[in-house]
Amino acid sequence: MGPYGNDARAAGRDDGRRRGAVPHWSELEEDAEHETGSMVRPYTITRGRTAPERDDLTLITVLTTVEEETAKALARGSRAGARGLQPEHRLILERCRRPAAVAEVSAGLDLPVSVTKILLGDLVAQGLLKARAPLSVARAAGGVDLGLLTAVREGLRRL
Amino acid sequence: MATPHSAIGDPTATNPTAGITTATHPAAPAAVKILIAGGFGVGKTTLVGSVSEVTPLRTEEYLTRASVGVDDLSGVDQKDTTTVALDFGRITVSPELVVYLFGTPGQERFWFMWNDLVNGALGGIVIADTRRLETSFASIDFFESRGIPFVVAINCFHNTNTRTPDEIRAALDLDPQVPMLLGDVRERAFGRDLLLALVDHLMELAAASPAG
Repeated sequence: MGPYGNDARAAGRDDGRRRGAVPHWSELEEDAEHETGSMVRPYTITRGRTAPERDDLTLITVLTTVEEETAKALARGSRAGARGLQPEHRLILERCRRPAAVAEVSAGLDLPVSVTKILLGDLVAQGLLKARAPLSVARAAGGVDLGLLTAVREGLRRL
Repeated sequence: MATPHSAIGDPTATNPTAGITTATHPAAPAAVKILIAGGFGVGKTTLVGSVSEVTPLRTEEYLTRASVGVDDLSGVDQKDTTTVALDFGRITVSPELVVYLFGTPGQERFWFMWNDLVNGALGGIVIADTRRLETSFASIDFFESRGIPFVVAINCFHNTNTRTPDEIRAALDLDPQVPMLLGDVRERAFGRDLLLALVDHLMELAAASPAG
């Protein structure tokens, strides 16, 4: 157990899925032999990558699984020993059969947002996920679109 | 409040479930987000939960920043990495549009540097507790400095508020246009009214600004 492996956040997880809570790459090497079972370091899942290939995924970018391409990739993967798609990738593809935001995928996988974005970026790059950017709410050009606000307002009134 | 924008025959006022039967492949809805801010323990997650259609979800992020360097004796650039957690919920406004509500992490210095959380927010709700208004000053300052429109919720669930709204407004040094509502964040109706007040505020600001 590394010097930071027992921090308060990790200690607070009593659900048996506790990971080594080491947030910094510089600590990734020091106790690799302990990486067994559920004690997988988050950036191990990304094979050491700490930044996504694409920087346009936000907390509320909505992702949808491209069913046909995914079916093909899974078929290819089972023949080729599932090379390329990790279990987390498969979980994401299953989850995003119903559209889900980055934050929701992250919460569902119990992985930090930055780690989740790297995995999502892989799948978008392979054409297995479609990403929809958030609506622009730029205020510089005369405020938020009134049509958008009207739609939000109508929805909220039903609460 | 008058709602000049909700015209009769509004095409957006459709049945929220209308799209469900048509699509085999669900089309991705567009998303917007609203930030729920305020001091630690002031009721942010409670508010998210009161209006969200799902039990608030929790996610985490690693944040790294250069440390502030007040007691920097070494001259070495120090980095400060931390994990912050935030709770969020969602409201499906229509098959095409989802509003995500993000309760900001309790310690301002962490969420203030979380650009992905802050960028592109439609607006914010700052919750304040009359017994410790000062814990919400930083959130108000932050939204003002970033130009993010917000409304203020005075959470009265302890029923200990002895101040008038004007006194609270003065204590918070609120701009006169900023809406302020008093209520109980555990109640869905109050959460809804806060969100509606925010949207009305955004509409007023949009109408007041020169057409772009």
